[in-house]
Amino acid sequence: MSQIELDVRNLNVSFSTPHGNFSAVNGINFQLHSGETLALVGESGCGKTVTALSILRLLPEASAKFISGKIIYSGRDLLGLSSQQMRKVRGKEISMIFQDPMTCLNPVLTLGEQLSETLLQHNNLNKKEALSKSAQLLGRVELSSPEEKLKQYPHQLSGGMRQRVMIAMALACEPKILIADEPTTALDVLIQAQILELLENLKKETGMAMLLITHDLGVVAEIAERVMVMYAGDEVETGPTQSLLKNPNHPYTKGLIASRPQPGLNIKKDLRLPEITGNVPSPNQRPSGCPFHPRCNWVMDQCKTQKPISKKSNHDHQYSCHLEPGSL
Amino acid sequence: MTDNSFLEVRDLKKYFPPRESFFGNTAGSVRAVDGISFELEEGETLGIVGESGSGKSTAARTLLQLEPPTSGTVHFKGHNLTALSEEKLRSLRKEMQMIFQDPFSSINPRRRIGDVLREPFAIHNLKENVAESIKELLNQVGLSSDHAHRYPHELSGGQLQRVGIARAIALNPSLVIADEPVSALDVSVQAQVVNLMMDLKEKLKISYIFISHDMSIVEYFCDRVAVMYLGKIVEISTSEEIYRTPGHPYTEALLNAVPGLEPEQKKQKIKIRGDIPDPSNPPQGCSFHTRCPLKEKRCEEMEPILKEVSPGHHVACFLKE
Ligand SMILES: Nc1ncnc2c1ncn2[C@@H]1O[C@H](COP(=O)(O)OP(=O)(O)O)[C@@H](O)[C@H]1O
Ligand SMILES: Nc1ncnc2c1ncn2[C@@H]1O[C@H](COP(=O)(O)OP(=O)(O)O)[C@@H](O)[C@H]1O
Ligand SMILES: [Mg+2]
Ligand SMILES: [Mg+2]
Repeated sequence: MSQIELDVRNLNVSFSTPHGNFSAVNGINFQLHSGETLALVGESGCGKTVTALSILRLLPEASAKFISGKIIYSGRDLLGLSSQQMRKVRGKEISMIFQDPMTCLNPVLTLGEQLSETLLQHNNLNKKEALSKSAQLLGRVELSSPEEKLKQYPHQLSGGMRQRVMIAMALACEPKILIADEPTTALDVLIQAQILELLENLKKETGMAMLLITHDLGVVAEIAERVMVMYAGDEVETGPTQSLLKNPNHPYTKGLIASRPQPGLNIKKDLRLPEITGNVPSPNQRPSGCPFHPRCNWVMDQCKTQKPISKKSNHDHQYSCHLEPGSL
Repeated sequence: MTDNSFLEVRDLKKYFPPRESFFGNTAGSVRAVDGISFELEEGETLGIVGESGSGKSTAARTLLQLEPPTSGTVHFKGHNLTALSEEKLRSLRKEMQMIFQDPFSSINPRRRIGDVLREPFAIHNLKENVAESIKELLNQVGLSSDHAHRYPHELSGGQLQRVGIARAIALNPSLVIADEPVSALDVSVQAQVVNLMMDLKEKLKISYIFISHDMSIVEYFCDRVAVMYLGKIVEISTSEEIYRTPGHPYTEALLNAVPGLEPEQKKQKIKIRGDIPDPSNPPQGCSFHTRCPLKEKRCEEMEPILKEVSPGHHVACFLKE
């Protein structure tokens, strides 16, 4: 197998808030191999963003009091780096894009100003070189007439174009790892398809690894090689994408797959869409035993009291459920 | 002529005044909705699908006369809404309700859920059994009566959308327009909300117009689908027909853009690039030609009109003639 680019071991994150302390990520483990796309999937509130922000050490210091475990990147534990060392990793080695590009784009600066600023921070360039490299970057994310775009402001662009600009900024320093947190969730399916294709092409070109966060297994099927499903801060099932979609071992994975409608469903008229009933629990009301048990169609007595430990399925997935492999 | 139809929309247009262009040159008016016509039968569900900016929300608002149309007519149960007095319209409004995309912005965050649901009754001066009705509404949408005491931020997105639905059905409407009711929700929660809307349709005999940019959900939920592009309907037919034999390249692109659980199936199908053009300066000829992978010379020069390609299936594309 290829080289491990990022190794997350037993990551725990707890918050301390006026409403008490609670844990948002509970001892998850995963490895990102060089050049691969790994998807982190789960409903809102399952701890995906917290996981991503922990990797870049971007969680607010005031509330994120307890982080433990290891995040190994090129031989070093990122959790042990000084803030100054961490600043060198961020953007240059590992960069991140978000659901809403406006959180990263400065509304009062032109795209040219913002892109060249990023480039100047990490590279030895003069202003003119930075501007021409900026135009190049905009061309790489397939924006038309990049020279003109350099003079425009973020609000003059559509949502899809802004997402392209953010991708250009994230790629400015040729990072080894791109973390994409719901990059297409706010976009139309049509523009989503364009952005996913772009990400896939860029990944192939640059050889970077990608950690893609989404709530939509359809998106995962489009571009990820492997998936880790998270529920209530736990790692629930991990495996190669196609195999996991065909042979899910965890009822939560199965529920997520079934609730994704595909064109053509209508032909079987009057079928209800399979749904996962209920909601993700808030972290301070975590159910006992398996946290998914209140929503699970296969719930057994032991699920209510014992937390399942991770085991291997017949298809080489790692999953945490009391059901035997192949039960679903 | 329209006495027996439930809803009939004829050549509806909504133009907004020209935008101040950034570079000073005046652009034309914004043709958000540019002459759409369709009918809806009682009990039927019609989907309107298209990407952002195609005019779906404007169509919904002008149809309900929340904004005056530039031209065209809307007949609802025999009444011409465009010619009705304010007072008459007000009483008809009970029958026509709307559900919005983002429940967090369409529901006042400072009011308890119970008060949010009391509003429709208050607007129409209904005083009897309101508390009882609110309880029943909450149950109907799968919430409990305790939810009446909570504030919006204490609910999840899916739960709050249920409140949006409860508010819409409070006065027993016969027509509900749902404007992207599930676009802001997790996929798993979308299924819950769509199932709820289906159950209510059966129980309360509601006719829906369901707006979305996602073909998979529209095609699943609706009996018929209208595909909109730059203010116009470019294809309309039954869901099944749209899925099996999409007539317009744009429809095909929308179907193909649905992220698939079996991606092997769909490489090389129609993909389109770029963004939707500016509706204040729409392309000559077929408005889709600038993005159409199949475009021919005539598409740049002449505008195709909707033609019936098989019974009930209308397509506006020269390639289908
Ligand atoms: N800064 C924070 N302070 C307190 N709680 C937080 C903070 N960030 C996230 N959380 C909580 O942690 C849980 C996981 O959140 P998140 O990682 O954002 O979920 P996801 O990205 O999967 O939707 C949620 O319950 C959320 O409310
Ligand atoms: N009040 C308004 N004034 C000017 N232009 C508008 C207004 N409302 C919508 N538009 C424009 O009309 C077009 C259609 O918008 P909309 O109906 O919101 O489309 P959709 O709901 O399909 O995304 C867009 O170009 C939009 O910018
Ligand atoms: Mg998140
Ligand atoms: Mg809209």
